[in-house]
Amino acid sequence: MAIKTKKILVPLDGSKNSLRGLDMAIHLARQSQGTLTALSVKTVPGVYALHPLGFLDFNSMKEVKKILADAKLRAAKKGIQLTGKAIAGDPGYDIARFANNSKNKIDLVVVGARGRGSAKEIFLGSVSNYVLHKCKKPVLVVK
Amino acid sequence: MTANNFKKILVPVDGSKYSDKALKRAGELVDVFDSKVVVIYVVEKSVPINLLDRKEYLQILRKFGNKTLDRAHTILSKKEISAKLLLKEGNIVSEIEKAAKAEKCDLIIVGNKGLGAVTRFLLGSISNKISQSSSCSVLIVK
Repeated sequence: MAIKTKKILVPLDGSKNSLRGLDMAIHLARQSQGTLTALSVKTVPGVYALHPLGFLDFNSMKEVKKILADAKLRAAKKGIQLTGKAIAGDPGYDIARFANNSKNKIDLVVVGARGRGSAKEIFLGSVSNYVLHKCKKPVLVVK
Repeated sequence: MTANNFKKILVPVDGSKYSDKALKRAGELVDVFDSKVVVIYVVEKSVPINLLDRKEYLQILRKFGNKTLDRAHTILSKKEISAKLLLKEGNIVSEIEKAAKAEKCDLIIVGNKGLGAVTRFLLGSISNKISQSSSCSVLIVK
């Protein structure tokens, strides 16, 4: 196997498109015997990040964790190891930062063409676009 | 997984080192997925060119295009991949999209930037437009 994509990052937001991205990543990981890292970001508006009461929202990570558990199940069915990671913050910024962090050793980022923002459905999703621009690793956009 | 197979890969080249990188990446993918490669060079016609020099200018561009396609061919043939070479004329993005449709490509591999020096820090304008508007998956090599 000549392919060097050992570690693939898949940002997930629970939308259909991100699941398509996950399927593609699983497919790629099978070919290269790589591992997947799923990243799910809970959107936190900037105001709440500063506001002390913003942290009282304990339920917030539940949804994100469920997405990750689903992804883990999906990958396990195909025999691929998947490590989930949930963080809170701004999706585009945090995905790019996670991918660029050399500690994580990401070789490839696989994103769905668009996520949940329905207003921009005709175009490439705003988050995908941000990741495309800011990420220093190869990016695969799945349509 | 029939939908996920990369049967045909389109690689637009412009002679920059980023497009060489894209070619190399395409070669790796071909090893794994047994896909066919289509290499395309588009002679840009949409920029307004001085009327008098137009013919000469386009000829130079065509020559350069053939040269880059030859180079792409040698890079790929080192890995024993036979690629289909295309030389098109017109608007770069729309020609690439047309080619992707005509050849029924499943994946487009582009370098993240091309020859434009102004956009050196950003994603190249062409790569950006392709990723926005193409109907198939896009791999951006950095």
